[in-house]
Amino acid sequence: MVLFENIFLAFRTLKANPLRSILILTGMAVGIAAVLHVVALGEVTQRKINKRLASLGSNVLQIRPNFSRRRGVRTETSVVSLKWEEAKELVDHSEVITATVPLYSGSKGVQFRDKNWNTRVVGTTPEYEFVNNEHLVEGRFFNQDELNRRSRVCVLGATVHEKLFGDRSPIGETIFITGKRYLVVGTLKAKGESWRSPDDQVFIPLTTAQQRLFGIKHVASILAQIRSADDYDEALFEIETTLRRNHRIHPEDGNDFRVRRQDFFLATIKDANKELGQFIMVIALVSLVVGGIGIANVMLISVTERIREIGIRRAIGAKKIHILTQFMTESIILGLLGGVLGIIGGIAFNQYRIGEGMILPMEWIAYSFMICAGIGTIAGIYPALRAANRNVIDSLRYE
Amino acid sequence: MQDVVKSYKMGSGEVPVLRDVKLSIKTNEYVAVMGPSGSGKSTLMNILGCLDTPSSGRYYFGSQDVKGLSDNQLSEIRNKHIGFVFQSFNLLPRVTALQNVELPLIYLGAAPSARKKMAREVLERVGLGDRMTHRPSELSGGQKQRVAIARALVTKPSLILADEPTGNLDSKTGTEIMGLFNKLHEQGNTIILVTHEEYIAEYAKRIIRLRDGLIDRAALSKKGAWIQFLSKMESETSPEETSD
Repeated sequence: MVLFENIFLAFRTLKANPLRSILILTGMAVGIAAVLHVVALGEVTQRKINKRLASLGSNVLQIRPNFSRRRGVRTETSVVSLKWEEAKELVDHSEVITATVPLYSGSKGVQFRDKNWNTRVVGTTPEYEFVNNEHLVEGRFFNQDELNRRSRVCVLGATVHEKLFGDRSPIGETIFITGKRYLVVGTLKAKGESWRSPDDQVFIPLTTAQQRLFGIKHVASILAQIRSADDYDEALFEIETTLRRNHRIHPEDGNDFRVRRQDFFLATIKDANKELGQFIMVIALVSLVVGGIGIANVMLISVTERIREIGIRRAIGAKKIHILTQFMTESIILGLLGGVLGIIGGIAFNQYRIGEGMILPMEWIAYSFMICAGIGTIAGIYPALRAANRNVIDSLRYE
Repeated sequence: MQDVVKSYKMGSGEVPVLRDVKLSIKTNEYVAVMGPSGSGKSTLMNILGCLDTPSSGRYYFGSQDVKGLSDNQLSEIRNKHIGFVFQSFNLLPRVTALQNVELPLIYLGAAPSARKKMAREVLERVGLGDRMTHRPSELSGGQKQRVAIARALVTKPSLILADEPTGNLDSKTGTEIMGLFNKLHEQGNTIILVTHEEYIAEYAKRIIRLRDGLIDRAALSKKGAWIQFLSKMESETSPEETSD
């Protein structure tokens, strides 16, 4: 009964001073909006990362050339050090490495009729499809036979498909890569965005790439799929042993290659994302504290303005607890209104910043309400106590 | 309530505003408390109204010794048993007449529908049936005071305490308000009126004069001794209205 009365009363008071109310609520609103934004952003990034992780193929190590250190002296990057044979050797001599895929890629112009597109042409082996967890939309990946015969066949990434053919099916069509004809045998399913779009690529047999397109004998990197994540150390040891022996590296010198887990960079992004989130969270908390102080301030002003009213209410029978709850309700409602504004602002801001794929962090919206009610409560305690403990007679005479 | 006896005695060390005041007021009495400013009228009124407690001595409200009561209990007494009418009306400015009258019932814990009904009835009794949804700023001084009286009456209190109820009113309106008090007295209400105007005090059945915190026994006068003064007062009072 008194609660309804208090809520009604609180809104009336807020209405009596709309500008003051809005100004003070802005602080809270900004804090809550920031919290919601961080949470939504974090979750969206997390989803992207997870999606990307799933598309990468699990337990895949990437072997790339690196600067070597010969007795402490840094030398040139041995870009030509990795060989296809080594990829075969790794899988043949290891228990834990279940497949290897050699890769060589370069930027090339591709053309279909009047459409030109600059993309990355990747020479690889048929195992790539499985190791890198690719899915075909249409057609097939090139096969071992085509690899052996240095066939001019290609598989298009989703972006290339769209740029050259639009909605049309490219299977059986011929595209030109640096003036040579290639038969399109398959198209790949889009994997989504990443730091280097995995969809903006064209795949051709490694033999074709090495001998016909790029004219080289080495490979740029090797993907090695291991049996399970637990085998990482053993696989790493085997790779190091084999490659160091092959490259005749002196025991005191460092590797001229490096091995990393494909998902490693994602972990880095994750960490960075988390740190940024924590930073914004701190800012959000600061603005919530400031918002709380603002509410306390407004409540103190409100109490002072209404000393006479307090006196009247007390004289006609309001107990201290009635006055206390009246001002507490007002303070909590101020907090909650700040929260509502913040949630609306946060959702709008998320819509603007994230747009598609924006998610409503319902859980955090609920938390926001609780946080706001909490701040309203804490901010209201002192002013409400002051109001409740005022001397009745003095309050009545207060002008 | 039967046998409402209020005896009060006070002796204070520092600044004695009231000194050993002995007083008893019975149910359905109509008493005026008079005295120059600084005589302790307001203090007496505050104690009678349970807004304050005596520094020493005892004040019995009914059979209840006020001294041992908590703040909550005092609030309850004020709410249920005492109705205040102030010089400056003391209405809440932002709410309607009806809501002002409802206010004591809210603290009494009455249901909203019952509250509205009772408040309406009382407002009609004071002749404001057509002004219920007006805010205090839209009412004249006399109307405001009627709202205040309605608010004082709404919990059917055993005591109505009026502190200079006509102080902010012109004499014509003041007379009307006093007529209302007379009617309330006839209906069986106990009324204590604090005033410094003789002609107002004349409405009461008994006048208590305070001087320097003491009841001026010598001045306990009979009704009618001030008729001459009353007519003089009436001609002197300027008919100006003060809005709160």
